[in-house]
Amino acid sequence: MSDSAAWSARRAEVPAIAVASLYREYLVTRQTGRAVRDGIERLFADRCGEALAIIDFRDVAVIDFSCADEVVAKLVMASGADPDASDTRFVLVRGVRDHHLDPVEGALRRRGLAVAAERANGEPMLLGDVDPDAGEAWRMLCACGRIRLHELARRMSLEPGPCDQLLSDLYRRRLVRRCGDEFESLSFIASAADDLHAPAELRGDDRPASLDG
Amino acid sequence: MSRVIDVPEVLDHRGFEELVAALPIAAEAAGARILFNAKHVRWVSPYGLIGLLALGRVARDRTGLSARIEAPDNREVRTYLDRMDFWQSAHEVFDLEPETTRSHGASDALLEITPIRSHHDVHAVVERVRERSATILENRLHYPKPSVIQFSVMLSEVCQNIIEHAETDGWVCAQTYNYRERLGREVLMLAVMDLGIGFEGSLASEHARRFGESWSAATALEAALLFGESRFRDPGRGQGLQAIRRQVAKWDGMLAIRSGDAQIALVPDWDDYPPMQRSLPTFPGAQILIVMPARSAGGR
Repeated sequence: MSDSAAWSARRAEVPAIAVASLYREYLVTRQTGRAVRDGIERLFADRCGEALAIIDFRDVAVIDFSCADEVVAKLVMASGADPDASDTRFVLVRGVRDHHLDPVEGALRRRGLAVAAERANGEPMLLGDVDPDAGEAWRMLCACGRIRLHELARRMSLEPGPCDQLLSDLYRRRLVRRCGDEFESLSFIASAADDLHAPAELRGDDRPASLDG
Repeated sequence: MSRVIDVPEVLDHRGFEELVAALPIAAEAAGARILFNAKHVRWVSPYGLIGLLALGRVARDRTGLSARIEAPDNREVRTYLDRMDFWQSAHEVFDLEPETTRSHGASDALLEITPIRSHHDVHAVVERVRERSATILENRLHYPKPSVIQFSVMLSEVCQNIIEHAETDGWVCAQTYNYRERLGREVLMLAVMDLGIGFEGSLASEHARRFGESWSAATALEAALLFGESRFRDPGRGQGLQAIRRQVAKWDGMLAIRSGDAQIALVPDWDDYPPMQRSLPTFPGAQILIVMPARSAGGR
């Protein structure tokens, strides 16, 4: 397959992306949280099939526990509510800073949930309730971006069976995406989508760098 | 005819209890208007200030007549009441002469008495205190920088407690002062009060049956503060109070919640407040007190 054809195929398989930039300095109170979540759910509703919501926390100076529960925890809860649903929802939180951690993690842990996130500097992180082995698999996947199960198992010195269990569990919780026998991190999808949809990045047959490997 | 209740010279959380104890007797006389005689007050805490408003409203509810209040003689106390916007809120509670409302001009208060009626008020409070709390927490109490945001989060959660659970409105107020007698250093005091259904009423539908005959204001307070229980079955609820508790403990602060006839407290080493009090004179709603002591300039 030519680079161009591969790029077209890749573009077709990237989920619809909805970016919710939270231009609010103060994310406080449940009512505010509900309003923000409703807005993000409307973005989801406009997209069929697989969809990724990116919640951008860069401008959020204060978030309280109640609002974190309404915005992040309930959105994550809804995304994993029906693992067999045809409309698969993923959530990625971007722009996370130290003062967001306590409320967001607290809200997630209380419900036994987790969300894929990125620090303000882009470093991937898992927030919430995840067992250490699954966390390790997730970090390894993030480092690779996209990887086949057997390759990840080899890198983690695991048998494919247990590795499959870890990844399947991460997929069931919508912390990674499954594409046939490959798995992708949500950060990888987001950055690939940035490249695929940004006209300035696409000239002639140039293939976005993030698709290499 | 008026029944007079003398306000203690020191109107703090202890002074408030004296007034709560005196109220039922004063409110017994049919057709009698209650007069809170605050002439001899020489010191008021934020808790005492909004406590006086709460008492005024309960007096009105019990007698059917708006209570009156005799303003303090002490010039400093009078100025303090002006600065904290006491009279603005007092006009909605007490039977006052129109000219009692005074403008305070510039205030050094962290947060003047502010009514909490909706989530918009919570937003307004959190945004208003941010700059002031940064100055006070960092420069005067020597708290690390992240504490400014943590304080905002705590303030938001404690105010939301009124909206989410009380089913009525309330007040919030915060100020720093030198807590000489107990600590010999400055403290930040945050007081939040409502006259709603209280913890026992809020949690009853979900938890009373499980506790059976032992269900009371005290068990409701324990369930909420110690075990994170809420009136909602949703496991995401009830975490605000837990977060406040953790934060206050981290700051070596004091947290006391009075509701109904009980009070539960998270008590640091520097205070001797009882961790649980039962059979107090009944008072509606919830009254929350948070005291955050200054750290030494080098840390704790």
